[in-house]
Amino acid sequence: MAIRKEAYKALESVVGSEFITDDPILCEGYRSGPGGYESATGYERVMTMPPGAVILPRTTEDVQKIVKICNRYKVAYVPYSTGFYGPRSHCHVKNELLIDMKRMRDFELDDKHWYAAVQPGVTYSPLQAECLKRGGYVVVGGGGAQVSVVANMICDGWSPLSLRIGFPHRRILGVEVVLPDGEILRMGSLAVHDDAFWGEGIGPDLRGMLRGYTGVLGCLGIVTKLALKILPFQPEELKPTGISPNTGLALPVNRVKWLNFQVPSKEAETQVMYEIGKAEIAGAVTKVPLFWRAIAKTEGKEEFWDEWGKESEETIKNFHIVRVLLIGFTSEAQMRYDEAVLNDIVKEVGGVQRPTKPIDQSWIKNADSAGMWLMCGAYVSVDYIIESIPHADTHGPTYAKLKARYTPPFMPDYGDPGWTMVCEAGHQGYSEYLVYWDPDEDTNPVDQFYVETSKMNIKDRYYTSLLGSHQPLYLTGPKYGPNYHEWLLKIKGEFDPAWICHPPVPLAHDEFVERAEWMKSTKDWETPDELPMPKW
Amino acid sequence: MSIKDELEQIVEKKNVRDAAEDLVRYSRDLSLNPPGMPEVIVRPETSQQVAAVVRWAGTNNVPVVPVSSSTHFHGCTIPKQGGVILDMVNMNRILEIDEYNRKVCIEAGVTWRQLTEELDKRDMRVIMPLLPHPERSVLTDWLEREVPTNTVYDYGEPMQSLEVVWPTGEIFRAGSASVNGYPDSKSKGTNPSGPGLDFYRFVQGAQGTMGVVTWTNLKIESKPKIDNILFAAIDDLGRAQDFLYRILPRRIGQEVVLLNNVDLATILTDKWPDDFEKLRAALPAWTLIIVISGLLRRPEEKVAYEMEFLGEVMRNEFKDIALTDNLPGFPGIGKKLLSLLRKPWPKEVYWKNQWKGAAHSLFFIAKPSATPLYKSIVEEIAAAYGYALEGLGMYIQPIEHNRACHMEFNFFYDPECASEKALIKSLSCEAAKELLNSGAFFTRPYGDLAAINYERAGGYASALKRIKKLFDPNNIMNPGNLCF
Amino acid sequence: MANDRYDTPKKKVSFEVRDLNNFVYDMSRCIKCKGCYWVEHTYMPGIKYTTRCPSGTWNEFDSYQAAGKVRIGLAVAEGKFDWTPKLLEVIYADPLCGACDVGCKRNLDLEIGLSLEALRIKAVKDGAGPMPAHKKIARNIADTHNRFGAAHDSRKKWIDKGIGVAEKADVLYFGGCSASYTNNEIAQATGKVLNASGTPFMVMKDEWCCGNVLYSVGMIDEATEIAKRNIEAVKASGAKTLLTSCAECYRMWKVDYPKMLDIATADLGFDVIHLLEFADDAIRNGSVKPVRNVDLRLTYHDACSVSRLCDAWRPWKGERGWMGTIEPRYKRRRGAEGLYGQPRNILGAIPGLTVVEMPRIRENAFCCGAGRGTKEAFPDLARFSANQRLEEVREVGAEALVSACPFCKNNFSQAVEAHGEEVKVMDIAEVILASL
Repeated sequence: MAIRKEAYKALESVVGSEFITDDPILCEGYRSGPGGYESATGYERVMTMPPGAVILPRTTEDVQKIVKICNRYKVAYVPYSTGFYGPRSHCHVKNELLIDMKRMRDFELDDKHWYAAVQPGVTYSPLQAECLKRGGYVVVGGGGAQVSVVANMICDGWSPLSLRIGFPHRRILGVEVVLPDGEILRMGSLAVHDDAFWGEGIGPDLRGMLRGYTGVLGCLGIVTKLALKILPFQPEELKPTGISPNTGLALPVNRVKWLNFQVPSKEAETQVMYEIGKAEIAGAVTKVPLFWRAIAKTEGKEEFWDEWGKESEETIKNFHIVRVLLIGFTSEAQMRYDEAVLNDIVKEVGGVQRPTKPIDQSWIKNADSAGMWLMCGAYVSVDYIIESIPHADTHGPTYAKLKARYTPPFMPDYGDPGWTMVCEAGHQGYSEYLVYWDPDEDTNPVDQFYVETSKMNIKDRYYTSLLGSHQPLYLTGPKYGPNYHEWLLKIKGEFDPAWICHPPVPLAHDEFVERAEWMKSTKDWETPDELPMPKW
Repeated sequence: MSIKDELEQIVEKKNVRDAAEDLVRYSRDLSLNPPGMPEVIVRPETSQQVAAVVRWAGTNNVPVVPVSSSTHFHGCTIPKQGGVILDMVNMNRILEIDEYNRKVCIEAGVTWRQLTEELDKRDMRVIMPLLPHPERSVLTDWLEREVPTNTVYDYGEPMQSLEVVWPTGEIFRAGSASVNGYPDSKSKGTNPSGPGLDFYRFVQGAQGTMGVVTWTNLKIESKPKIDNILFAAIDDLGRAQDFLYRILPRRIGQEVVLLNNVDLATILTDKWPDDFEKLRAALPAWTLIIVISGLLRRPEEKVAYEMEFLGEVMRNEFKDIALTDNLPGFPGIGKKLLSLLRKPWPKEVYWKNQWKGAAHSLFFIAKPSATPLYKSIVEEIAAAYGYALEGLGMYIQPIEHNRACHMEFNFFYDPECASEKALIKSLSCEAAKELLNSGAFFTRPYGDLAAINYERAGGYASALKRIKKLFDPNNIMNPGNLCF
Repeated sequence: MANDRYDTPKKKVSFEVRDLNNFVYDMSRCIKCKGCYWVEHTYMPGIKYTTRCPSGTWNEFDSYQAAGKVRIGLAVAEGKFDWTPKLLEVIYADPLCGACDVGCKRNLDLEIGLSLEALRIKAVKDGAGPMPAHKKIARNIADTHNRFGAAHDSRKKWIDKGIGVAEKADVLYFGGCSASYTNNEIAQATGKVLNASGTPFMVMKDEWCCGNVLYSVGMIDEATEIAKRNIEAVKASGAKTLLTSCAECYRMWKVDYPKMLDIATADLGFDVIHLLEFADDAIRNGSVKPVRNVDLRLTYHDACSVSRLCDAWRPWKGERGWMGTIEPRYKRRRGAEGLYGQPRNILGAIPGLTVVEMPRIRENAFCCGAGRGTKEAFPDLARFSANQRLEEVREVGAEALVSACPFCKNNFSQAVEAHGEEVKVMDIAEVILASL
C-alpha cells in the first residue's frame, strides 16, 4: 500500500527524502493501536490502518505545499501532532498520507503580554517550563503534559486549574490554519499583523471553525500556529524533585499549596466547590475520584487492584475529598486570605483538612494521564462536559447507571460518578466520565456503550460539549441545535468538497456503525442511504 | 399585496409600520454614516415570528436589518440597501435570573437600565463596558464585544449560550442550550461553545449580518460588599502603562479605567458648558481609576491585602504615582464615579454627546506599551486636520492582566455641521490606516474601517465570505456591512 | 489473588528475552504517550532539550522511538514482515539507553527495554541480525577475547610500576576492554585510587571481554557462554566483590549476566560495584581524601549503564490474567537504583571544583549514543547524540565533561575534537586521582 509515485515525488521535493517515507516498516510504526487512547475498540480495528506514507514538514509553507499536492493528486491526508488522541488522529483510508507535525516546534513567548505562540509539535511540559521560568502558567489539560498544545486547545483540555479561566477556546489568541484546499487562513491579529497577541475576528470570529470535532482531528484544515494566553502565576520557584515514578514539584508553601479536605457528603463536596468559585478564591479545585487516589498511592497494577478491591459501593458513596490549590498570586497576605476563606467554607459543611504533601505530582506541570491505563490496559473519557454545576452533579451518576449495564467488560468501579470540578469561578461545572477495560476481553459492548451514551445524553437532555467523536453525527445532529450537523457538513463541503482532509471524519463514526456487524443493533436513527461524502 | 400586508400576516398589524416618520428614525443614527431608508419596520414578539419574517425576506430577496436598541453609535443598523427593519423592542423579557448558577437569560430587547435595575434588587450585577447607554441592548453590546471595565475575571466575556435565527430562517440554539427541549433540560445553557462548531463566534462582531440573536444567557456576578475607589493623576501615559503592567497581573482591582482629561471632564460635568471648561483644564492629563473591592467573604481582609500590595509597589517602585481615594481638587469624585461605573449612563443625553451633540469614536485593541505611540500618531494627524487637541478624548481600558487594552479616541463634533463631520470622517480614516500600519487591531470594523481592514486581511475576508454564503446565500442579512 | 476475581483465562508468561512472545502483551499496551521519548515532564527543562530518546531524536519518524518500535515489534512477532535493511535499522540504530523503559514505567507496568532486547535476539535467531559491524566485533571477541581484535596478551599492559596489584584480595578489579586497550588512563587512575584507599585488589588471571556488545546486539547464546565462563572465573578467584570503572561492564555483570542465567543479581555469588560506589563510600569513611585543589568548572554526564539500566536483576515467570495482572507479584525495575548521588557526592567533596548541571541529568540524561555496539554500526547516530549533549555542555559553560564510562568518554572526545572545542573530556577516575 503506498501513495501514487507522482504524488510521492512531488511531496519529496517539498521536504527532502530524509523527511518522507513510504517504507511499510516505518509506516507500521504509525499504526494507531492496538494500545492507546480509545484503542482496543472496534472503531480502531475497523476504521484505521497504517499510512501509505508519512511526511514531516517543518514550516507552514511546507504544509501548504503538501496540502496542495494532496489536492492535485487526490491523496487523503491526516495531520498528526503526537498521535496520542487515539484512532481518530490516524489514517482511516487506504494510501493515506500521515502528516507528522513534530518537527514544527517553533515557540515564542511574550511575558509582558502574557501569551505564547506555538507550532503543533510543542507539547505542554516544555511550554509550562518556559512559563514558570517567567512567573506565568498555562493550564495543562488532563490529556497530559505530553499532548500537543495546539491540538489540546482546539479540542478542549481541562484541569482543576481551569477554576479561574475555564474554556480553552477562550484562551486561544491568533491562529494560522492551512485550509483543506491549501489556502492559509490567519485569524485574530495574525490576519493583519505578524503578531498573534489577540484572537477575536475582524468582525465575525472565524475561530468558531476550529472547534468541535471538525476542527480538532483536523478534518477542516491544519493549524500550523496558535497563540494562547498565559496566566500570571507567583514568583517563587517550584523545584522538580524525586525519581520516577515518584516525581513532583516541591511547592513553596507560602505561595503555592494543595490542600485536601474530607467532607461529609456529595452535596457538601459540591457546596465547597461552588462556594470557592463564588468567593473568587483559589487557583484550582477538584473532587478526586477514588480510583485516581488508589493509583497515586500504589505502585504497580497488582497493588492497585489490592487497594481497589478494598472498596465498595458504600465506600465510594462515602468518599468525599475535595482538593484545592491555593496560589498566592498577589502576595503572601493574599494566600492567607484565600486560606481563611477556604477554611470558613469547609467549616460550614463540617469538613476537615487532611494531611497534604507540599508537592505537586500532577496538574501544574505534569498532568498525569498515562496512569489511566495502568489499571486495565485500555481507557477512554467517554464524555467531558462543561455546563452548570447541577448538570455536572447529575451527569456522572447517570453515566454510572448506564455503565453498570456494561460492566463487565468495564472495570468494576462501584458506581463511581467520575471526575467533577468547577470552572469559571463556579459559573460552570465540569464533569468527565472515564471508563476502563481489558482489551483482551470482548470489546463489542464498549463500542455499543459509546452509542448508548449519545442516546442517554439526548434522552436526558444533557449537553456534551465536544460532541465526542464516538457519537454518530446523524444521531446527535438532529437533536442538538437542532440540526447542527447540517451546518457542519455544509462547512465541510465548502472548504473540502473532495473530503481529502482526514476522511471520513466527521462521518467516521456513522460509517463505523454501518460497517461493524455488532453495531447494527444500536442503530435506531435515520441516516441517508448514501452518506453525503465521496467514497475513498 | 404590499410588503406591509405580507408582513402583517406574520406579525400582528400593530407591529408593522411604514409611515415616513417611523422609517426616518431608523435611517440615521449618531454615527458619521450617511442615512439610508428602510422600507418597513417589523416588531416581532417571538422567535417564531422572527424566523417567519426572515424566511419571508429570504424568499423575496429583501434585506433584513436587525435592530435591538433605540440608540446607535456606529451605523450598523442604517439600512444600506433598503429592506426591513427587524426591531426587537418587543422581545424585551428577562427570561430567567438564576442566582445559583449566576446567570441570566435575556431577550435581545432587554436594556442596560432594565437589567441592572432587576439585578440590583438581588445584589447581583453583570460586568459592564464603560457607561453603556441605558437604552442599549445588553445582548447586542456583548455580541459586539464591548470591552468590560472589570479586568479581574480571567474568563473575560460573560456570553453563554444563545438562540439565533439563521438567515435561512431556521431557529437554532448554540452552545449548551442546543439540547432538545431546552430550557426544560438538565442543561442550563451556561456553555457557549458548540454544538460541534462554535457557532456563537460567527455571530459575534457580525453587526447583524449572520443572523438574528433572539436571546442569550449571560454570566452575572455577586456585587462586592466593599468598594474603595482610588485615583492617580498621571502625566505620562507610558508611566501609567508601566504601573498597570506591574499591578494588574497581581490581580488587583475590579474596575480599572484610564481616562484623559477630556473624556473624564465630559463624564463628570453636570453644568454645561462652564463646569466642563474648568474640569477639562484642571484635570490631570490622565486619571487612573482603580476600584479595590471586598467580595462576599472577609471583604475587609481582601481590601487590606490589595491595598498593602499597592502600597508596597508605590513605595518601592512607583514613588511618582500617588493613589488616593479622592482626586485632589475634585471633592466627591469618588462616590460619583463609583456609582457611574456600576450603572448605565444616568442622564438623558449620552455622555459623549453632551459637549457638542455628537462624538465619533475610533477604537481598537492594542498592546498597552504601544499606546503612547498611538496617541502621538492620532495627535499628529488630528493637528494636521486642524482638530484641536484640547478636544481629543481618550480612554484606555486594560484587559485581563494588561495583556492588551481597548484604546479609544473620541472626536467631538456638531452633528448639524456637515464640514465638521466630513473633517472627522477623513481624519478618522487616515488615523485608522496609520494605526493599523503600526500594529493596532480593529476587531469592530464599523463604517469606513471595514474596507480598510478587510483589504489588509484579504485571506480572512475571503474565508468570511465563504462562511457567510453558507448561512446567508442571498445576502439578505444587513447587506453592506463589514465585507458583505 | 489479584487476578482470581474473574475467570479470564491465564497465560503463562516470563521475562525471558529469548522468546519475543513473552513481550507481546507489553508491546500491545503502548499508549503512545511518548514518555519513552520525552524528558520526564516534571523535569522538563523548557523548549530546548525536550527529549531523551537518542534514536527518536536522530530520526524523527515515530518508528525510531519506542512507541513506533513496539508497533513494528508486534508485526515482527506476528511474522508480518521480512527482515529488511530498514527493519534492521529501526531495531539496531538504538543505544538501548533505557530512557524508554524508565519513561514508560513512570506510569505503566510494561517491559519496553526487554521487548527491544528480545527483538534483537529474534533478529539474530532468524539469521538477519546483527549488523555487519557487530559481527566483526563478535569475531574479535571469539578470537582475541576483546572487542578490538587486539592481542589478548596485551590486556594487562596498563598495570605499570606505580600500581600495586595483589595476588589475592576480596576486591577484584575488572578493567574491561576499553580500559585495557584504548583507555589505559581509566584503569590506571582506578588502580591508583584503590591503592590510595588502602584497599587491596586483584585482577582476573585471564580477563576476557564481558560480552556487552554480544548481548546487546542479540547474540545471546555467545554472550551466555561468556557469562558462564566469566562468573566461574570470578568465583574461582575467591573475590567477594567485582569492581569495574566501565559503566557498560557494570551493567553486564550486574544485570545482563543474571538475566541470561535466569538468576537474581543477589544470587551471583559476589557483589558487583562500580568505582562510583566505591569512591563515594571511601570518601565518606575517610579512606580516600581529596585534598588537592582541582580548579575546573565541570559538568557530569550520567552514563546510561550506571543510571537507568542498572537496577538489580530479578527474574520473573508466572501467569498473566484478569486485567493483565500477574502472579506472583513482581517489583518492577523502574530505574530508581541508578548511581546518581554517588558521583555528585564525589565531585562535591573535591576542593576547587565547580560542578554545574546540564539541563538533562540523572534519569533524564541524553545518552552519548556510543554504547552497546551502536557507534560501530551507526557512527552517525553516535555523532549526533554526542553533539546533542555538547550543546548542553556549552549551555552551562562547562570546561570539562566527566562521565563514568569509556564509551561516553571516547565518543565525546571525538565530537569535541571534530568541533575544535576547548572542552576537556575526562573519566571520573581521573578527576578523583587529580584530587589526591
